[in-house]
Amino acid sequence: MSDTVIESSRFGTLQIAPEDLLEFPLGLIGLGGLHYTLLDRNPGTGFLWLHSVEDPGLALPVVDPRRFFHNFALQIAAEDRERIGAEDIDAASMYVTVRAAPNPADVVVNLRAPIIVWERRGHQVLNTAPGAGLQARLFAAPDTA
Amino acid sequence: MLILTRRPGERVVIGEDVLVTVMEVSGQTVRLGIAAPEGLPIYREEIWLAVKEENRAAAAAADELAGTPDSSQAGSALPVPAESESSGAPATSSEPDGSAQPQAGSATPPALETD
Repeated sequence: MSDTVIESSRFGTLQIAPEDLLEFPLGLIGLGGLHYTLLDRNPGTGFLWLHSVEDPGLALPVVDPRRFFHNFALQIAAEDRERIGAEDIDAASMYVTVRAAPNPADVVVNLRAPIIVWERRGHQVLNTAPGAGLQARLFAAPDTA
Repeated sequence: MLILTRRPGERVVIGEDVLVTVMEVSGQTVRLGIAAPEGLPIYREEIWLAVKEENRAAAAAADELAGTPDSSQAGSALPVPAESESSGAPATSSEPDGSAQPQAGSATPPALETD
């Protein structure tokens, strides 16, 4: 199977190896899309880009919530757990979308609807854990003391 | 829009696979039971709308920050979180409402510490 080529409006021509293609059987909520790939354009920052294969103009910054929120908790429906298929959900890759902003204090992530990737299949699910907000601030406020 | 009147215990069939049962009516509240094929996601509308809006906003906000489509610059405007990688780093305590908080050491880019 040959590489998939994406003429990305943001990153230019991308060649995606078959093993880097992710299938999203249900798409992202409200955005759809059956195939995405993860791009690490900023190594070491923890930020990745979830780039659509079908839509060359669609890319969302994402981070692993477990890397930035030590008290991140995940509670999902049994149906979602079954759909994902991972025996140990903690072993799956997990991402949340980032809503960037000029002021870092305004950068928020959506802990309510994480994207779980297991065996190259992705699902955006609803997280019902207490405190899993739709707009959780990614950066702590600067210490003004 | 099709409008139907149903009583508790009665059902509506949508297509061949989706069965909606009126479980209970109490005042302004209606409890519905929905049987649908595996793999067909079902959301409360307000949650579906909110997540959809966040997804779209995340994609749009990235456009604003990344500027021109130059692969060497793309994403460079994203803030860089300062992380505490040490396994013993204490997590910040939860807010009174239980909301998840950025971990200790997370700060704005100018205050980035790389250790």
